[in-house]
Amino acid sequence: MNTNLSRRHFLRSGSSLIALPFLESLGFRRFASAAKATANPKRLIFMGLGWGLTTETWFPDPKQPGADYEIPKGLEPLARHKADFTVLQGLTHRFVNAGHQGSTFWLTGANQFAVSGKSFHNTISADQVAAEHFGLQTRFTSLQLDCGTYAGNSGHGPGLSLAWDASGKPIAGHKTPVEAFHRLFSGENTSLEKRKALLKRRHSVLDTVLEDAHDLQRGLGKDDTAKLGEYLDGIRDIETRLSKDEQWLEVPRPKAPITEPKPGLAGYQEIKLMYDIMVAALQTDSTRVLGYRQPVDTLLTSLDIKVAPHDMSHYHSTMAEKLDASQRRDTANSELLAGLLDKLKATKETDGSCLLDHTTIAYGTNTRTEHNGDNCPTLLAGHGAGLKMGQNLVLPKGTPLCNAWLSLLKGSGVPVERHGDSTGVLKELLA
Amino acid sequence: MKPLFPILPLLLLAPVSLHAAGLKPVNVLHERHRALLKENCEACHGSEKQKGKFRVDDLSLALNDLQTAERWQKILDAINSGEMPPPEEKKQPGKQEKADFLDDLAHVMVAARRTLSDQHGNIAMRRLNQREYKNTLRVLLGADVDVSELPSDTDAARFDTVGTGLFMSGNQVEQYESIAMKALEEAFALRAAAGVQKKFRYEVEETNQKFKETVDAELEKHERACRWVKAVEEAAGKPENAEIVAELRKNSKNDSVFRRSWKNIPGAPAPEEFGFTTTENSTDQANRAFARGPSVFAYQMRYLEQPALDTGAYLTIQDQDGGSNSALFVSIPGDFPPGDYVIRVRAGVTPQATPERRFLDFGFKGRSRPVTSVHEVTGTLESPSVIEIPFHRTWLHRDQNAYRLYVREKGTADTNEQIKQKLDQGKKLNGVAPDFAIWVDWIEIERIPETEAETPPGIRALSIALDDKTPAPKLPELRAALERFAIEAFRGSKPTDRYMDRLVRLYEESRAEGTRHSIALKETLSVVLASPKFLYRAEPSPGEGRRKLQGNEIATRLSYFLWGTPPDATLRALGEGGELLQPAVLAEQTDRLINDPRSLEFVKAFSRQWLNLDRLDFFQFSAELYPKFDFGTKWAARQEVYETLAYFLRENASIRELLKADYVVINGVLANYYGIEGVQGDAFRKVPLPAASPRGGLLGMAAVLAMGSNGEHTSPVERGAWVLRKVLNEPPPPAPANVPALTRLAGKVLTTRERVSAHQEDAQCASCHRKIDPIGFGLENFDAVGLWRTEDSFQARDNDGKPVPNAKKTWVIDPAGTFHRGPAFRDFNEMRDVVASRTDAFARGITSCLIEYGLGRPCGFSDEDLVESIVQRAKKQNFGLREFLHALVQSEAFQSK
Repeated sequence: MNTNLSRRHFLRSGSSLIALPFLESLGFRRFASAAKATANPKRLIFMGLGWGLTTETWFPDPKQPGADYEIPKGLEPLARHKADFTVLQGLTHRFVNAGHQGSTFWLTGANQFAVSGKSFHNTISADQVAAEHFGLQTRFTSLQLDCGTYAGNSGHGPGLSLAWDASGKPIAGHKTPVEAFHRLFSGENTSLEKRKALLKRRHSVLDTVLEDAHDLQRGLGKDDTAKLGEYLDGIRDIETRLSKDEQWLEVPRPKAPITEPKPGLAGYQEIKLMYDIMVAALQTDSTRVLGYRQPVDTLLTSLDIKVAPHDMSHYHSTMAEKLDASQRRDTANSELLAGLLDKLKATKETDGSCLLDHTTIAYGTNTRTEHNGDNCPTLLAGHGAGLKMGQNLVLPKGTPLCNAWLSLLKGSGVPVERHGDSTGVLKELLA
Repeated sequence: MKPLFPILPLLLLAPVSLHAAGLKPVNVLHERHRALLKENCEACHGSEKQKGKFRVDDLSLALNDLQTAERWQKILDAINSGEMPPPEEKKQPGKQEKADFLDDLAHVMVAARRTLSDQHGNIAMRRLNQREYKNTLRVLLGADVDVSELPSDTDAARFDTVGTGLFMSGNQVEQYESIAMKALEEAFALRAAAGVQKKFRYEVEETNQKFKETVDAELEKHERACRWVKAVEEAAGKPENAEIVAELRKNSKNDSVFRRSWKNIPGAPAPEEFGFTTTENSTDQANRAFARGPSVFAYQMRYLEQPALDTGAYLTIQDQDGGSNSALFVSIPGDFPPGDYVIRVRAGVTPQATPERRFLDFGFKGRSRPVTSVHEVTGTLESPSVIEIPFHRTWLHRDQNAYRLYVREKGTADTNEQIKQKLDQGKKLNGVAPDFAIWVDWIEIERIPETEAETPPGIRALSIALDDKTPAPKLPELRAALERFAIEAFRGSKPTDRYMDRLVRLYEESRAEGTRHSIALKETLSVVLASPKFLYRAEPSPGEGRRKLQGNEIATRLSYFLWGTPPDATLRALGEGGELLQPAVLAEQTDRLINDPRSLEFVKAFSRQWLNLDRLDFFQFSAELYPKFDFGTKWAARQEVYETLAYFLRENASIRELLKADYVVINGVLANYYGIEGVQGDAFRKVPLPAASPRGGLLGMAAVLAMGSNGEHTSPVERGAWVLRKVLNEPPPPAPANVPALTRLAGKVLTTRERVSAHQEDAQCASCHRKIDPIGFGLENFDAVGLWRTEDSFQARDNDGKPVPNAKKTWVIDPAGTFHRGPAFRDFNEMRDVVASRTDAFARGITSCLIEYGLGRPCGFSDEDLVESIVQRAKKQNFGLREFLHALVQSEAFQSK
């Protein structure tokens, strides 16, 4: 009996959501080889900041819209990159009322209560929409990085990274630079033969657990079948990845352009390392879509700030040391971002252009400060999506944040017409 | 194949009629609120005009569908954010009227969300959560593995048992497989070492010799440096060098810098001649040694004068200057296998030890790591006592940092700030150095051999060779072993033949590639432990309606509920035999599980989530402001919550006493912290309270009070909201988004009460804060770490965080207040009496949490009857905590799918 056929058959009958892609017919090999030929592909980086930032000193003065604005204190370290980023003001997710969830719906714009009989609902995040399009061409469809400690403490809210898959389930991220580094660059000590055998074995393992899933499923009702569907989806994802691994089997892993990070770093240095890894991932074209849910609690500790992260976000009530902490956090974040932009500029493509010319960074959070979800701080940087940079873009209050995501996706060449609650692209961003 | 699930008569549960029960869901706004909308909104959002395409006149007051709920949410958001009615509009609703409207709407919104998301008793199939997965591997294999790479499962839902919040992904499936591989490696190693007994005793006086050598060497160096300095000064003093020396001195800011130019002084000797021979900075070395005279080593010299140094060593406070014995480290010898261990520390306190200096912190991975446990030294220098600390050594402890364990005096090395504080305090006390409080004789590490009966069921099920010393088993034998293992792992469910075929083929393929039997076996077993029947607690139910659970399913539910593990052999046998379906047997087993120490898993996991204890880790408590609340005390404070609930469960104590009691359940550390006399040792026990004590019940617990602070100041809001949520079962609605911040008070020198009371000026804030804040004020006599106080103060700081001079205020705490809609109270005791009088509400709150935790689904409005029946049953038994568990287990909901 043909194992693969039966598995596909099973997967399709198992859950209404599952349709295993026929990888060969999708032309994986063609994509894999085409990847090398494509010059200067588009890239996207998403970075979530959790507990907001300091409203008064991070946003440029809304009375100075356009290119001719004064860099505010919180963005000072970014001054040298002024022409390479745009700050957007007035964006919001209309469904999000939760003040402690800076990342849960940030890239999705979903309504938590949209579905009857469920207390939590989410939809696909913008990075995954991009990954569906760009991911076929690189070894990793997308790469998720995540803060090391309890994410609630950093104001991110439920989730395992910034990314949510097509069925609105959270996608886990790598929690340390060491883990991410190894995922990208380690592993090929074994011979090709051995790796082929290993892949074959992986298929056999999946066949085995699927047999068990199949048996289990026989007795299940509708809801439990859906729950088991997550497992089947998971197996499908591994299958897709394995098939991709097969295509990439003979393509050697890129040599890491950076040295292996040391374990144990936290806060400022950890974020810096994660940024280095992101640059390395793009430089080696290991992936074209990255997401990073940044730590806030350990960042504060590393800056020797004693104020607790959530308390800091409530700086309005006392100002004083909480405001000081909030502002120092902003400065540190901007320094780090400026360093990332430096690196993206310094990394050249074969035609002499730099990575930043082909990359767009989306940087911000769903919580401005305190419990406020209006005017979500949003900064876009880089020229990959052909969006207008160097602007203080003051939009009408209540403009859907998803319009920014839609602009970003379309600008990068992702064929989408809407995302979340988007009502259209931001014309003001189009150069 | 035997059908997995015999056809059962489907028991269709009659839908519970809420109306019949008289418990109408409250997702309907009262008609009186129409007036507010009519007067303030309809001019722009009515039948005539619909600004922003929004109208309110046709809105139903009953929030029975998502669309209506969304429209009301918009109204709630707009009013909360101050956007509506437009501030420039002259006509505004009255403050009281607006606050009442917001209050009702926010609550109705919460109720509507609950109703609309009600699962109507439907329990989604549960995956083992991170905690249960770890426990299950431990029970099955005897191995304790790190599962922190798996999702923690605590984010999405209120309890980590709720099935809808337990997701799965491909990534995770592979993690399960790799973690299982580690667990199997450990399990096989354990098996190989079964019966091994090993003991190692570390005589700590060894450290004294090193101590002495260090001090001697430093003093000898100092003596040489003195001679060199003298010789340089002599040369400098020669009249013929006067001019050079004067010039040098002029350019040197001090003597030490001056001596760095010794080469320019004719006749001055090189430091190398005095033994300071380094390749680059001999002069600096000599200068340094000169500065470090006997006064620097006063602490160390005093140490060396102490008695009993030939048989033991003292714990010191870490001294940066001259080395110290601030922690005693022991490494587990490399050839000791994983398994059950006991660490023994023989120690005694010195006559100088004050009551708070009798405790040891114990932990792994070196000094700065978290405290694993705290122990009281009850013996003395003359008559030491032995402290026993059991622990399970896993393969994780192969890691160099993890097999090193330490003991140190409690609260002496949590942070650098604290070390300095303790050192300075000690010096101040006697002018020289801190006194020595604890003397240690030796530290012993013993590996305890397992008995045959303790062989974990997974390993027992295999019963084939696990190593490569004997020929590998033949295939039929191997297949049978794998099948027995799979049945055990699948909690009694039999795998299909095809599954077994594939499993055996995996093993064979591995072997064909030259893999050794022991490794091929582990690889194959790890696939079993990543299979759905292991990872999910399936309760098959193909039909539409509900059905009664079978005995084995009840056994699994009960065991995961009370132990967080799969059922043991006894429970499984009763389940499979069907006896468990008899209420009496079920009750008997419930009691057996509760009485077993393993029920501590329930106590910890449930109370951690129920009371939101994680918050205790959100803040660093200031060592400067709260020196007594060190890491060890914080550890003990958290234990108090667990131990108290364990006591309640064990003794079936009334939950009334969680609100107010004349006793506490504490150990020596907490007795010292609370100032209660006559309690010694590590065991938590019931201790009667002196009449005037504010302790007794949750509201007097250090952990609960400390959670209501930010590590520095108390937060009456946090505390008040916690009491409403956890005790009074009146949870305030989630903090609304986009409320304009109160900024005008920033920087003002006000009392906490003045500052917090400002919340009640705006109707948006008052709607909730009028309920929250008074309770918080009533708790203000407890400081940020739960110690009693009568005064508080505030120091204003500038925007760089620096204290502003002359901007400090100190005041006497006024704990009086009035509950929203009464009654008034004068102080904490009176407030607590009011809280204690509301046991029924408290009981309802606990019950709904138990339902959620135990059934693995949210407690919805459709559960009102269930809640009521559990509360009524428990009430008849004086609200004994155990009764709640019995009532839930005996309920139809617990026994049906």
